[in-house]
Amino acid sequence: MRTFIAMLGMGLTLSAVSGAQAYHRFWANCNYDSPTFMTTMTRDAAQDYANASRYEGYQWGGGCWNYDDVDSYPNDPPVQTGTHGEGGDCSGLSFKTWRESTDPSRDGRYYWRALRNVHGPYDAAAFRDGSGAPNHVVAKSTAGVMDAFASNTHIGMVFYRSLYGGDQIVEAKCEACGTNIFYRTYRSDSSYGGVGRWGWTG
Amino acid sequence: MGMDRLIRTLLALVFVVSACSSNGGRPKRLLDGRPAARFLPVRDSVVAAGRVLRHADVRDCLAIDDRVDVRADALVVERIGVDGDSLTFANRDGNGVYACDGGSDASGERQPPWCATVFGELVHGRLLDPRLDVLCRDRRRRPLAYAFIDPVSGAHWVGVRQDGYVELYEVLAGLPVRIASTRGVDAEAARASFEVTQYDAGGRELVAGTLAAAVAG
Repeated sequence: MRTFIAMLGMGLTLSAVSGAQAYHRFWANCNYDSPTFMTTMTRDAAQDYANASRYEGYQWGGGCWNYDDVDSYPNDPPVQTGTHGEGGDCSGLSFKTWRESTDPSRDGRYYWRALRNVHGPYDAAAFRDGSGAPNHVVAKSTAGVMDAFASNTHIGMVFYRSLYGGDQIVEAKCEACGTNIFYRTYRSDSSYGGVGRWGWTG
Repeated sequence: MGMDRLIRTLLALVFVVSACSSNGGRPKRLLDGRPAARFLPVRDSVVAAGRVLRHADVRDCLAIDDRVDVRADALVVERIGVDGDSLTFANRDGNGVYACDGGSDASGERQPPWCATVFGELVHGRLLDPRLDVLCRDRRRRPLAYAFIDPVSGAHWVGVRQDGYVELYEVLAGLPVRIASTRGVDAEAARASFEVTQYDAGGRELVAGTLAAAVAG
């Protein structure tokens, strides 16, 4: 019995260690590489980029993820930056998907790899106001694929328009719900405004 | 006892205009040109001008949809510091607070005086996070960061360490205090750190620490 309890304790310890190692392995791969300046930026490519970020988790103020379809650290305390969890938050995902610069005066196209940890200078409210050279306000009725709806506290991009009045929205929603595509009615919600990215090439 | 405290507080609140200062690192004027006052109990201090307004016009800095979210008679705290100026006010339901941050818009798209607007959610009267804003530039085009500070119990002043002086913000109208700094700003990483000290009305230090803030949400 004593041996069993000792083995049980050892097993529990080892299982905790492996979880921590998985977390640290993920974060060790996040980097601060320069983005790649691009001359093109299509809505199709943006859809692909956002779609690939699904299931990768959510991190408040974050912007680093891999492509293993698992949130490597799903239990971060909410609303805390610096916990090194996986995933972007809502504005970080939009920033990277829209290939924006960390300098709000630049409206060029900058491709950020998934593991490049970057959030960008905009929160959801700044996006909603159309802040920054690459962003602008659009009428909600005309918002199309990979335009976005933003409120003071959240932003999600239109993946495609649904037949039932709402939209399929790709968004990093919260620690518990992660990053995914959800049916949302932001288009008819008065707290949300339409936002677009200048410079689509297709 | 109450009178003693009042007298001590009044004595402590003797401001000396910066023209009398011999410290070269301490600015002589605030952003709007008025003389920079000091608060004697805090060394090398500059007091940011602060006042509470009712019926202030905040429409210029708010998105059209947000204007209905603010009562016409909402208390608005106006602050004018050395490099930054701001307005702070609660929303209609009292579950959030807005700030209009002054400066020049880095992208040149927003009309002065406001370069950004932020909204902070309040939970049990406390902010979820400091709502860091790094979209503004000061008069010299340096990145200017703004953040909220939740005052601790008994705090009357919030001091922010700047280059060569401490900028003091008065706690007003029971709202979080919007501070500004060009020091410790990493605009590229959308992060900023502020060395913050909170004082009571007499200038006694209550709490001090570094606020490391990041743009989020």
